[in-house]
Amino acid sequence: MSYKVAVIGDADTVTGFALSGVSYTYVHADKDRTLAKLAEFMVSEEVGLVFITHRIAEEIGAEFRRMMRAKKLLPVVLRIPDFKTGYIPVVDELYELIKRTVGAEIVVRAEEG
Amino acid sequence: MNVDRVLKFELSRLNVHLPERRISLKEALESTKPQVATRDGSIHRFKREELDLLAKTVPEADWGRLHLPILIALDPKLGRGVARITGGAEAKVVGQILGKKSTGEELLIYRPEVAVVRRKLPTTTQYFFVPG
Amino acid sequence: MAAVATEVVTPTRMELLKLKHRVNLAQRGHDLLKEKMDALIIEFFEVLRRIGEARKSALKQLSLAYRALSVCSAVMGTIETRQASREAKRELEVEISTRHIMGIVVPTLEVERVERDALTRGYSLHTTPSVLDEVSKEFEKALGLLVKLAELEESARAIARELERTKRRVNALEYILIPRLKAALKFIEMRLDEMERENFSRLKRIKAMLEAGA
Repeated sequence: MSYKVAVIGDADTVTGFALSGVSYTYVHADKDRTLAKLAEFMVSEEVGLVFITHRIAEEIGAEFRRMMRAKKLLPVVLRIPDFKTGYIPVVDELYELIKRTVGAEIVVRAEEG
Repeated sequence: MNVDRVLKFELSRLNVHLPERRISLKEALESTKPQVATRDGSIHRFKREELDLLAKTVPEADWGRLHLPILIALDPKLGRGVARITGGAEAKVVGQILGKKSTGEELLIYRPEVAVVRRKLPTTTQYFFVPG
Repeated sequence: MAAVATEVVTPTRMELLKLKHRVNLAQRGHDLLKEKMDALIIEFFEVLRRIGEARKSALKQLSLAYRALSVCSAVMGTIETRQASREAKRELEVEISTRHIMGIVVPTLEVERVERDALTRGYSLHTTPSVLDEVSKEFEKALGLLVKLAELEESARAIARELERTKRRVNALEYILIPRLKAALKFIEMRLDEMERENFSRLKRIKAMLEAGA
């Protein structure tokens, strides 16, 4: 099935993605309104993929994490670095996931081998 | 006993990702949406790159004989780390991908080889847990 | 470590047989789930490897796209650039289906021909500065790579969840259920042996009494 793409970010990030054809854009202003917009994208039947910048996801904090845990298969949500700072969190959530799932020692072995 | 129930549930779920009916490589290549319906009622889509790889590896005359997904059978009786590919066409193509010879209707492969097969054909192969 | 049989079992042959059956079932289940766990670990590491590569190329391309945007804003002006983005054609579609990996459903994402030509982008080549076209082009490339990355990250999370669940089941079987069942089995066998011995000596005494009386 075909779905549209949405992006939540600062004005510049959003501009760039709009120029690539992304249908739904939202410029972040404050936590509450962005949360509401994100919730809108999450229930929309049209939106299959949402890009949101790391910085904004962090700013939204616990509520964002809760939404991600509760979400169904769609939409797929991906965090991306933003235009201004290119910020990516130091603590890589995926890395932490790996350590928790298979144990730190296997991670070390995988890195060496 | 709670764990008993959990065990029964997990065992019944083991092969739920497998399709009711497999389709041949030929059917898949001819379809605009190459996919199968799985036992739990959803869709499993085959990726085009993999179908193209298979088409290149398998002679066209055999496209009707190769059934997808190719099953990687895990049977505890075989011992941990050993898997079995059944089916002449299937065994042949897996053998070719691994660079080893396969004769007959069956091929035994080992864990590192399983990893290679899964890497090259992630959607056109599936694990099959032999309940035995 | 001795597991305490916390099950109340009547020491009969019937119970013995039932228990033996349960032990076999649990053992078989444990072996199968361990195979599943091993297979999930293979899947997990493979998807992580791919994420590593996909992240590198996606981030590299995204930097290029952001740079093109800077250049465009500098040349055209930020306001004009944003205006152009609002006027551009924005009907990108991603084809989403599903694939299965051992009991987990994972989305597959495909974008058809992300990289469009100027006409499809919604503005005319003649009146549009090439810097704007550059931005579109670079972001289209980035989008293609980000879509692939999204699929992989989603898969990784789903596999990790299933792996954790399966690990818990394997451990519950290996460290709780099976030792408990085996201990109960041992208890019954011992009791049955004991009862048989008691029976045997009782019969011997009766026989001796009968012989003495006769």
